[in-house]
Amino acid sequence: MSKQASDNQLYGVLAEFRNPKELVDAAKLVNNSGYKKFDTFSPFPIHGIDKVMSLPKSKLGWIVIAHGLVGLIGAFSMIYFMMTQDYPLIISGKTLYNFPAWVPVVFELTVLLSAFGAVFGMFFLNGLPRLNHPLFSSDNFKKATDDGFFVCIESDDPQFEPEKVLDLFKKSGAVHIEKIYDA
Amino acid sequence: MSDQPKQTTYWKSLNELAQNKEYEKFVQREFPEDATELTDQVSRRSFLRVMGASIALAGFASCRKPVQKIMPYSRQPEDMVQGVPLFYATSMPFQDTVTGLVVENNDGRPTKLEGNNEHPSSGGGTNIYNQGAILNLYDPDRSHSPKRNGENVSLSDFISFSAEHFSNRDQRVLFISEATSSPTQNRLKQQALRTFTNAEWVTYEPFSENNAVEGTQLAFGQRLRTVNHYGQADVIVALDDDFVSPHRHQNSVENAYRVSANRKVTSVDDTMSRIYSIENNFTATGSYADHRLRLKTSEIEGFTYALASRLSESVNGLSAYNGIENEFSDHEWVNTLAEDLLSNRGSSVVSIGKEYKPAAQAAVAAINLALGNNGNTVTYHELPYRENRDENQAFSDAVREMQNGAVDTVVLIGTNPVFTAPADLNFAEALENTGTKVHLSDYFDETSRNCDWHVNHAHFLEMWGDGLSYTGQRSVIQPQILPLYDGLSEIEFINTIITGEESTGYDLVRETWQSYYPSDFDSQWERILHDGIEPDSGFGDVNVSLAADFDSAIQPELSYEPVSGIEITIKPDSTLFDGRFANNGWLQELPDPMTKISWDNVAMMSPKTAESLGINPERSFSSREVPVVRISGGNSTIEIAAWVLPGHADDSITLTTGYGRRNIGRIADGVGVDTYPLRTTSAMLYQPGEVSTTGQSYDIACVQDHHSLEGRDMIRSASLEGYKEHPDFATYKNVHGYEVPGMEEAREEGNEHGPISLFTETYGSYDDQPQWGMSIDLNSCFGCGVCTIACQAENNIPVIGKREVSRRRIMHWIRIDRYFEGDEDNPGAYHQPVPCMHCELAPCEQVCPVAATTHSEDGVNQMTYNRCIGTRYCQNNCPFKVRRFNFFNYSKEFVATGDDPEIIQMAMNPDVTVRFRGVIEKCTYCAQRLNRGKINAKIATGSRKPVDGAVQTACQQACPSNAITFGDITDQDSVISQDKRNERSYVLLEEMNVRPRTSYMAKIRNSNPELVSPPDLPSH
Amino acid sequence: MSKTYEYVPEPALVKGNHDFKSITALVTDINLRPTPKAWYIAFGFANILLFVLLFSIGYLIWEGTGIWGLNTPVGWGWAIINFVWWVGIGHAGTLISAILFLFRQNWRTAINRFAEAMTIFAVMCAGIFPAIHVGRIWVIYWVFPIPNQMSMWPNFNSPLLWDVFAVSTYFTVSLLFWYVGLVPDLATIRDRIKSKVGKVVYGIFSLGWRGSNRHWWNYEKSYMILAGLATPLVLSVHTIVSFDFATSVIPGWHTTIFPPYFVAGAVFSGFAMVLSLMIICRKVYKLEEIMTIDHIEKMNIILMITGTMVGFAYLMEFFIAWYSGVEYEKAIFILRATGPYAWAYWIMITCNVISPQFFWSKKLRRNVAFTFVISIVVNIGMWFERFVITVSSLSTDFLPGSWGYYSPTIWDVATYVGTFGLFFTFFLLFLRFLPMVAVAEIKGILPQADPHNYDEETGEYEPKKIQVPEPLRENV
Repeated sequence: MSKQASDNQLYGVLAEFRNPKELVDAAKLVNNSGYKKFDTFSPFPIHGIDKVMSLPKSKLGWIVIAHGLVGLIGAFSMIYFMMTQDYPLIISGKTLYNFPAWVPVVFELTVLLSAFGAVFGMFFLNGLPRLNHPLFSSDNFKKATDDGFFVCIESDDPQFEPEKVLDLFKKSGAVHIEKIYDA
Repeated sequence: MSDQPKQTTYWKSLNELAQNKEYEKFVQREFPEDATELTDQVSRRSFLRVMGASIALAGFASCRKPVQKIMPYSRQPEDMVQGVPLFYATSMPFQDTVTGLVVENNDGRPTKLEGNNEHPSSGGGTNIYNQGAILNLYDPDRSHSPKRNGENVSLSDFISFSAEHFSNRDQRVLFISEATSSPTQNRLKQQALRTFTNAEWVTYEPFSENNAVEGTQLAFGQRLRTVNHYGQADVIVALDDDFVSPHRHQNSVENAYRVSANRKVTSVDDTMSRIYSIENNFTATGSYADHRLRLKTSEIEGFTYALASRLSESVNGLSAYNGIENEFSDHEWVNTLAEDLLSNRGSSVVSIGKEYKPAAQAAVAAINLALGNNGNTVTYHELPYRENRDENQAFSDAVREMQNGAVDTVVLIGTNPVFTAPADLNFAEALENTGTKVHLSDYFDETSRNCDWHVNHAHFLEMWGDGLSYTGQRSVIQPQILPLYDGLSEIEFINTIITGEESTGYDLVRETWQSYYPSDFDSQWERILHDGIEPDSGFGDVNVSLAADFDSAIQPELSYEPVSGIEITIKPDSTLFDGRFANNGWLQELPDPMTKISWDNVAMMSPKTAESLGINPERSFSSREVPVVRISGGNSTIEIAAWVLPGHADDSITLTTGYGRRNIGRIADGVGVDTYPLRTTSAMLYQPGEVSTTGQSYDIACVQDHHSLEGRDMIRSASLEGYKEHPDFATYKNVHGYEVPGMEEAREEGNEHGPISLFTETYGSYDDQPQWGMSIDLNSCFGCGVCTIACQAENNIPVIGKREVSRRRIMHWIRIDRYFEGDEDNPGAYHQPVPCMHCELAPCEQVCPVAATTHSEDGVNQMTYNRCIGTRYCQNNCPFKVRRFNFFNYSKEFVATGDDPEIIQMAMNPDVTVRFRGVIEKCTYCAQRLNRGKINAKIATGSRKPVDGAVQTACQQACPSNAITFGDITDQDSVISQDKRNERSYVLLEEMNVRPRTSYMAKIRNSNPELVSPPDLPSH
Repeated sequence: MSKTYEYVPEPALVKGNHDFKSITALVTDINLRPTPKAWYIAFGFANILLFVLLFSIGYLIWEGTGIWGLNTPVGWGWAIINFVWWVGIGHAGTLISAILFLFRQNWRTAINRFAEAMTIFAVMCAGIFPAIHVGRIWVIYWVFPIPNQMSMWPNFNSPLLWDVFAVSTYFTVSLLFWYVGLVPDLATIRDRIKSKVGKVVYGIFSLGWRGSNRHWWNYEKSYMILAGLATPLVLSVHTIVSFDFATSVIPGWHTTIFPPYFVAGAVFSGFAMVLSLMIICRKVYKLEEIMTIDHIEKMNIILMITGTMVGFAYLMEFFIAWYSGVEYEKAIFILRATGPYAWAYWIMITCNVISPQFFWSKKLRRNVAFTFVISIVVNIGMWFERFVITVSSLSTDFLPGSWGYYSPTIWDVATYVGTFGLFFTFFLLFLRFLPMVAVAEIKGILPQADPHNYDEETGEYEPKKIQVPEPLRENV
């Protein structure tokens, strides 16, 4: 560990594993050893890792429903106001409150806002965009988007002690371990 | 300037901006007083005017009100109220008749011509020439100044010239004038003949009444005008006498409203007259007739003699024709006609086209006399202004004299003989051999170019004058505006030549009329100016009897042999007449009533004849190209597009005149083919001809591409008997055998409006607003197209030019669909005017994404031009395809380009928006008139509902046969309500439940069971 | 005592023995390699066509709608035909990524990125036409409910307005969907690219993605929801486009069969277009191991099915026209087959109904060249379908007196051809700068991706074996 690195505050310890299976095992071990502030990294979502990391159910669904409802009610009341209240016009002798004809627009706007909810809600929950991150200081970590499988235990975890963590990783058969400092 | 026409022409080309130096100079030179008026008048008046009219220079029109006092038509305050049009009576001269008109003036600009109810020749109706006249007034191509050898000179130059030149009273002066009935001109004519000791005056018209008059000379020994009272006749036999069309009959408007009045059927008890038409090409009258027989033009004469000879067996006075045998002697038509005529003695009329030779005319006259029709359905009148001689002969003699160089000075008053005179006279050459040539004309035309002097003629709306109606009522012509180009009227022109001084037509006319009202002239004069006519005047009837030597005299004339091969018939054009309307965009673009062709003349022929020439009688739906044929007659040859017209006589080809003008104006130049070269003194009407295909083809702008109804029910018709048996033959149920689906259920629900519906309809509030509706009586329509022109004039509809028309983009708001049904060689023709239907559940409204077309409180389907973005979705979804789209900036091309950008703008109706590029437009039921009516009613009575008849649409007002009725359908006693209650009333596409406000009344033919008549429709 | 048997797996989705690294290389190296000459040439051609488009639009705005062949019976021509055609094509992408995703069709991963890109560019081409076909292009924004000096609002009864919302929503959602899928792969490129600029750009667009499984957790959820939203959306779009016709009164338009029939047609043409493009790209970019012959076969089967559905719709139209008893309906369908536009009708039938039937033969289904030809033929056919529907109905509707023939002008053609310029310009940029296969998803479906395919003790990769108990036998 170089000097100026040690001046910086420790972010966490990053360990690389060979393949998805070992990542899952490691995650299980870390989780069972009671660490809370840890995360695993892989080039693709790994089946079943949510359980071993005991991830909470995603709140995204609620965000989407909320947006959807806004779209639905917003669209309907907009059209209702425009067609029957603000500027009523006789069109083809149809009733002013001609709901069947409004369904398509109401539907489209509902879907549109739900989609916004789904996408931006997801980024929000993931705290993205975040263009720099301590982990990016590790060259090895670049493999995370290619074929690398990583576990990182963060320093601000209550029971974080660098030595313990290093042992834990060694024990779990990590192929490469490094300390990550805040840039 | 009109004598150097641009290659690009102002409503044919697509961009050419208005500004132009010449015009500014022109304003400075011609209208100094306007220049001042324009500069110092930034007043509210001119501002409002510009606002109201959206017309740049309406201003300078306003200060061109005539200087003499003329009386407003209706009892309005003398001083003009801004934005409120004034109406003045005047008359439009056409050949030797005038039609009484009422002119709408906006801020001193005449903008619209309507018929004068009090004038017998109009009866409130008009023809296409009357409607088109406004555009002629504002035609920038009209000659702007007098010319000496083609060089512009001032009027004073001409005056000093005539003072000097005509001071020699003994020179041989030849006056050639258009036919005119003007008492003043006639007075001046006599004066001229007195003044110039060695003068000759001939009247020349390419299509004159001369033969008809000569016919009475043969028959009765007197030269008389034959007036057929078609309205009084129960049986009409029209021998190629297209008496409802202005191009074939001078009195078409009166004929139309009288004969249609006699054929209106409102209940089963009504009767109607029966019309037989015998003709070579399909005419409006032929399509209107109950029975139509197609004969070659050259056979009509023989048919007439055969008919006369058949009649001679039963009535006295036709002995001359006794025993005549020809191919028609035992024609079923001759027998049937004879029977029908004999059983209607005294209440029938036989008539023949005025172009036919005197002998045939005489035969017809004799028949009417023998049938006792004289005094009832036929009257004869002496024409006070007519020389007692054969005018055609006189004209040819005069021209020959010119050829021989015996004429010192020729004075041409109107007329364009270089273009129209019979080819064998070679008038142009005759002019060369003449000393001095002076020509008064609207345009610097073919004749002017061959003259030393050209004087620009004032439009009848710019001049004082007078004339006689067809039946002789004295009418006055009063100017609505000072001459835009400072032209002279005929009488001023003649007077200048006689006196060598300038004089005002006003004085000349008053001078003439003083003789009619020796006492209390001024009040009488005011009355005349107000009414436009002297009601208790007219030609006296002349009692006629056969000339003593008739039988012997007629024998040599009876030699008749029809053209054996193909005959070429030359007739005046339905829209351009003899060519005098060639530079009128409205008329050029108006489709021919029968061929539906605009912007061209063609060689009409029957399908059989076409086949024999190797031309496919089926027209391709996907192409505008038609083959060109080469036609030679006499010693000239022309090449012209061939047109297959179902119902045309075989081995006969009909050509029309007036096209192929050169250097006249932007509109006329190069449109169509000049057919006059084929017309010679010996062959004024028909001649044998050679026809061959050239292998070339030519694009024709025809506005209707499909001519069969495909068995559909748009047009419904029945015979009179059929109607009396089943008065409600035209209802949907009786046409289709079942009711509109959902009607019964609806009635159970107590809804009478239409079939059951998913939603409750909401439209116009019926209590405080009128609900407008229109009804078109197909039984009165013969497709003349005057409604189209009237609408175009009223609603500022642009002329778009041949190329755009041939792309099927014609802008007319009311079109006339013409269908042929039945045997393709001899079909029936049916006309159907189609304006916007103003559906109560309009399919066009719901599809507009920006709500640019919506429904008004008074049940009218409205266009909001400035909201329209031009998706054309409404046009697609209109089942009647009445919506029109501004594909280009048509209005700009039409009103704002050319040398005199403002001139055309002056013709625009200030109450109607001029539409811009990219928006949809369509019939509005003349919204501006509806609203004026409602406002006036509100002011007068407090109710928004005008009294019945107070509001008329332009098409309704113009229609000579009153086929269109319009009004408030909530008023149970209104004419429209009665028409809509009539059992003949039906709407188009009833099963679609769009609930049109425009309905139709089924056509009825009074067919003779002895003869085959056009089929009853729909023919399932 | 038991005996182990090898079980027969499905044909592998990725041919050749690839591991994660080789997959990454296979796909992303295309973007990292220096730009090939051929690309520049292709891009040049595309740009020329794009210029043709811009010029024809410019001239259109300058002169007016009149430069097209439209006339009074026929108010809609090539512009609307092209609009419907492009939108139709734009259906395949979202359909593949959403519906096939919901149905767990893992083979979609090879082509979905590619198809979605095509969708987005196709919808862009489509979107141009409604915007420029109006008479007053400069006020086109009036179709949106924006407060204006007229204090008027759009008319929500109008199918054309529904279209505005449907197409713009579809475009937005497709774009989001596509981008969400792209983020992890952008991160991959970010981590592999050398150039500074590249690092920055890809860095920005990958939003700092670092493959965290806490992120993947929300990410998958979001992707699932988007797929759930996009599915009804993709079906609604062409349904609503078909309303433009179906809710009108014109014979041949006024039909309830249109929505399903249009959607089937859209899928049909969309898959055809994907095939045409894919067959070229997999060859040029040597991706045969990812976009395998099995993919082509699967898509051909879909082509055959949707083609037959469309054919069925054609028959149904005729039947209903006759069965309805409406004379105008009857007339228009007879006219379509025999009238002035019969030529177009029979081109349509041949291309859309007959040509896909060849795919009953497995041999032809797996013949790449043949597939390519058919895919082109189908797209021609689908263009003519729209032509027949739009033009023939208008040209011969109710009143025979107003019937009229329509033929396009050079400007109609130029505008249409020009849209290919727009399409390929964007598509080439996509091929050059974005991974044309969803790398992360492909990795996810490799057998190596499943933790169960590893040996418990050594942790070495070894595909699963299934224990099958030996069947009992009775001793006689």
